[in-house]
Amino acid sequence: MARWPSIGAIAPFVLLIAVWWIVTELQIFPRVFLPGPVDVVRSFGSLVHTGILPEYLQDSMVRLAVGAFWGIAIGIPLGMLVGLSSRAHTALWPPLLFFQAIGDIAWLPILVIWFGYGLTTMTVVIVYTVIFPVILNTVLGVRSIPITMYRAAQSLGASRTRILWEVVLPGALPSIMTGLRNGLGYGWRALIATEIIVGTSGIGFLMFDARRAGSVVEILLGMIILGILWYIVDGWILAPIERATGQRWGLVTR
Amino acid sequence: MQRSITSALWFCAPFAVLLVLWAILVPYFDVSPRLLPQPGAVVRAGIEGIQDGTLIQHIGASLLRVAVGTVLALVVAIPLGIAMGVSPVFSSFLTPPLRFFSVLAGIAWIPIATLWFGYGFGAITFVIFNAVFFIVTYNTLLGVSTIPLHVRNAAASLGAGRWAMLTEVLLPGALPHIVTGIRTGLGFAWRGLIAAEMIATNVGLGYMLFVARDFYKTEVIVLGMIVIGVLWLLLDRLLLAPIERATIERWGMVQRA
Repeated sequence: MARWPSIGAIAPFVLLIAVWWIVTELQIFPRVFLPGPVDVVRSFGSLVHTGILPEYLQDSMVRLAVGAFWGIAIGIPLGMLVGLSSRAHTALWPPLLFFQAIGDIAWLPILVIWFGYGLTTMTVVIVYTVIFPVILNTVLGVRSIPITMYRAAQSLGASRTRILWEVVLPGALPSIMTGLRNGLGYGWRALIATEIIVGTSGIGFLMFDARRAGSVVEILLGMIILGILWYIVDGWILAPIERATGQRWGLVTR
Repeated sequence: MQRSITSALWFCAPFAVLLVLWAILVPYFDVSPRLLPQPGAVVRAGIEGIQDGTLIQHIGASLLRVAVGTVLALVVAIPLGIAMGVSPVFSSFLTPPLRFFSVLAGIAWIPIATLWFGYGFGAITFVIFNAVFFIVTYNTLLGVSTIPLHVRNAAASLGAGRWAMLTEVLLPGALPHIVTGIRTGLGFAWRGLIAAEMIATNVGLGYMLFVARDFYKTEVIVLGMIVIGVLWLLLDRLLLAPIERATIERWGMVQRA
């Protein structure tokens, strides 16, 4: 099974880069507006050399990891609660939908007033972003467990705790993984947005700072790095995990 | 009729509880209005905003940008997606780059948009366009490529011309995916809009929030957040859900949960 990106996946990008190179060589747009691949690579080299890029990258990733961790730690239990208890569902579902509709970015101004410009604000935004897909998918997963499974476990004498650990959790796991994958995707974007608006370091900040200096090269570099990083994490790590859990617990046919 | 009223009431019930809690706890703990406003202050700010027209202006500007950007994106993305999707070679070739660009939803385009278009309507519409365009093109492509080949062959062998093929096979077949793409894209667009308006313009809901922050006018901020949430819910329930029901369920290719 092809789990690694094959030649077929790389070839289009090679063509794209070639077209990009030709467009810049022909100077269709002013060099200031659209620099070529060579400039971007050179900028990449110098940023790595000065240590800025690795540090920014690390900052971004750490923020995402912390936010994702809390989002998952809070989201999965909450999702299971809402999925299992109809009272919790009635009470919490409408606010969940509403607060999801507000969106993470809209919280930035009030978070800045409460916590200032710092790691807390950014972490809260990422947690907020990650938590909703995780909760919603956990609820979906819990509710899609066939009732016969519960009955079978109960008739075999399983206690509530065992049912939770051995029926509910594995049964919801494929959906939870989907929620995790979506949540991380949203979290990643929210991180960039937060860094652009209130950051002092990180890839998003790199792009915004470059914009202020009028340096398109670094903006393009930032965008490319973002895309590649996500492509790698999603394609090589998250999607295979999602496939593997789905196949193992066999409740989801892909 | 009775059922939908009671279910609407049940939907609002948690909010009523939250509202009551808010109205009680904020004065009880003597929370500074600079941190958290009282419900009354928010309502007053809302009424003022409507009376002097600024709230309407902001809402109008935001909605206009979303509408223009989205419509433009759809007009380009759907035909492009169908054209690309028809050929299996093209669609497998173009899928990786489209997925790549879909990730850079809206927000990552803001720096380059402001550099290329300056501040204002153009840059924000560009951000929204991108947010919608890539994901809709990708989904259209996907949708067309999942139409079973024998359906297309059957239509062709029955003598379907290119136009008939398009309107009666390709478009309906890809529609579930297209609609999913539109829904996701609109979500990206809405969030990208708010973020872009915070940095790149001087009118709109995002701007309203950001400026209020400078003056610690938390009642305006909370008002803005509620407006944003309500607007999105309205968009979703009144626009997207009916479209989904009319297309996806009608063509019966996807079961609604």
